[in-house]
Amino acid sequence: MEEKRIGVYVCWCGTNIAMMVDVKDVAKEMESLPDVVLARNYKYMCSDPGQDMIIKDIKEHNLNRIVVAACSPRLHELTFRTALDNAGLNPYMLQMANIREQDSWVHTDRTEATDKAKSLVAAAIRRVVHHKPLQKRTVDVHADTLIIGGGVSGMAAALEISDAGKRVLLIEKNENIGGTAAKLNLSFPYMNDANGAIHNLIKKVEESDQITIYSKSEVKEIHGYIGNFKGVVKGQDEKETHLEFGNVIVATGLKSIDAGKIKNYGYWKYPQVITSLEFESLTKQGKIVNEEGKVPDNIAIIHCAGSRNDNYNNYCSRTCCMSALKYANQVRDMLPDSNIFELYADMRAFGKGCEELYTSTSRRGVMFLMFDQRNELPVIKKDEEGDGLVIEFNEKLSGEDIQVPADLVILMVGMEAHDDAKKVSHLAGISMCGNGFFIEKHPKLDPVATTTDGVYVVGCCQAPKDIPDSISQAQAAVARVLATISKGSVEIEVTTAEINKDICCGCQFCISVCPYGANSFDAENNVSVVNEVLCKGCGTCATACPSGAIVTKHFTDEQILSQIEGLMAKVLELEEVETD
Amino acid sequence: MNKNPTIVAFLCNWCSYTGADLAGTSRMKYTSDVRVIRVMCSGRIGPTFVLKAFREGADGVLICGCHPGDCHYHEGNYKCLRRFHLIQKYISQMGMDKGRIRLEWISASEGKEFAELVNEFSETIKKLGNSKVKEMMEELV
Repeated sequence: MEEKRIGVYVCWCGTNIAMMVDVKDVAKEMESLPDVVLARNYKYMCSDPGQDMIIKDIKEHNLNRIVVAACSPRLHELTFRTALDNAGLNPYMLQMANIREQDSWVHTDRTEATDKAKSLVAAAIRRVVHHKPLQKRTVDVHADTLIIGGGVSGMAAALEISDAGKRVLLIEKNENIGGTAAKLNLSFPYMNDANGAIHNLIKKVEESDQITIYSKSEVKEIHGYIGNFKGVVKGQDEKETHLEFGNVIVATGLKSIDAGKIKNYGYWKYPQVITSLEFESLTKQGKIVNEEGKVPDNIAIIHCAGSRNDNYNNYCSRTCCMSALKYANQVRDMLPDSNIFELYADMRAFGKGCEELYTSTSRRGVMFLMFDQRNELPVIKKDEEGDGLVIEFNEKLSGEDIQVPADLVILMVGMEAHDDAKKVSHLAGISMCGNGFFIEKHPKLDPVATTTDGVYVVGCCQAPKDIPDSISQAQAAVARVLATISKGSVEIEVTTAEINKDICCGCQFCISVCPYGANSFDAENNVSVVNEVLCKGCGTCATACPSGAIVTKHFTDEQILSQIEGLMAKVLELEEVETD
Repeated sequence: MNKNPTIVAFLCNWCSYTGADLAGTSRMKYTSDVRVIRVMCSGRIGPTFVLKAFREGADGVLICGCHPGDCHYHEGNYKCLRRFHLIQKYISQMGMDKGRIRLEWISASEGKEFAELVNEFSETIKKLGNSKVKEMMEELV
């Protein structure tokens, strides 16, 4: 039998782990475990010197198994697998112990956290003994890309792919592409012609030979895996179209919060109260008038309508503050003698040119008044004396209860995820956060990919953002898509199920539990067989198999049971030391 | 209870393990009694793993998967649920308190819920006291 030679690497992660876990003690204690050749600790295992250390050790000490105790495997498993690969060791001979996200960051007692780390690493060591080399499978990549949503993000992505000479299937549920951005007049902070720019984009998309637009259509089904997806799109007249594509970009965009939800603002009661998007169309018509056709003297702009408030959405919609300043400038340009009031909770002027816009706006006779989100929101009432409205609230900076007259009120309505986000998340196999926005693979290091390979999220369906951020994200996703297309093939996970024909009793339980139809029955030999292309490696069939004939590669019974053994043995050993 | 309980938690990779990671990235604090074993899907978790954890000395076993309808593999969590009822019945018949195992759905965004769940389950196990399964098994052997 092959001699097991394990190298153990305990990461400090700067102070992230080392502050709560005695990393040196953990490494030292692992040295005495069976099959462990060496155990080291290092400041940043994921850094180049850290990886080089592992590679050097593998070569010099003939290590054939590696345990890295560091952050979550969801973050750096691939990094360390690549290091193993570079050292000539099969990448699957690695096991990680999560001693950061699930240890040092969540516990407060150093001894307890260190003991927990020891047991997690001991478990990983016992597990890695049973790891087997696996060969990655390479599959061809279909060169077409499905883009769901024809807003500014979807269009930007589509054009970028089309410029590279590749085909795009662009699905839009409305009659026309353009999305929310097409409703805008000018863009902040430079007051550029957003309307013209977006319509130019729409024209280019419509004219591209590479882009097929499916308008008034919805995606009904998506099956398959990176490089090899199949989908069904239902269009007008219930007509279904079957499509094939290699990658998916989800760009389903946003909807505005229903302004009527905010009782204090009386959106349905007073015609003088309008939303930001309604104001955009007013300025597009070139005339600022209220519902009665009257030119307003007093214009109030209320920030954070439905945002950053525990009663509505607790997040910031990121674009409303700057749009509100844009409106103040537009009003000042069109109605030079009007009174303009900006009612804000906090002014968020981050981003290029934005603080400058705030400064220049404040010099144009705009009255800035602050309200406190923790108190009751400003209340809009009918003016008892005149025919306009008054806004009553406690002005935070002066501490005074004040009244602001208004005959036009613009509510800066926040962004929300679409009501059907859940449906899309199921279709594409991606996750949603509590607010209904799609979750990226990693919030810092991989903000456009998702946990499903070949599926990307861009624009406001991922989180509220402005036009340049949406376009940047779209183009970033396209870079990833084009990389797979230009390579022509991708490596896919091989942790599929495998059936031992000698043990299989032919009961076919595995066939009934498989959600992908990957298992079938070989009547001639009276056994079940796995189609590895269809199998996604969930392992349900292995658990259902009464005779134990099915092995889920890399998550075998032997591996998991050993992990439990290693874990509990260390826990009990440490308890004994404590009680002695 | 003479020692802190040890809880072995089996978490699915896509929702619950990510949720537990989120508790970490959000720096939420919870008891160190829990130790997580990652599987790809809660549908991979069966009696073998749960009984093994008790056999090796665990005082409680926690199983977490994606919420119904949200399983990365469509329906693995439903299969897990059925098996969970079976395991509960089985350990009760063996004379164990069925409160020693628990199944909950934790999504990728529910870091807070995971932290609260672990603390709450740890309290439950403390009330039940240390499991004697390992000792009893060793006596039998």
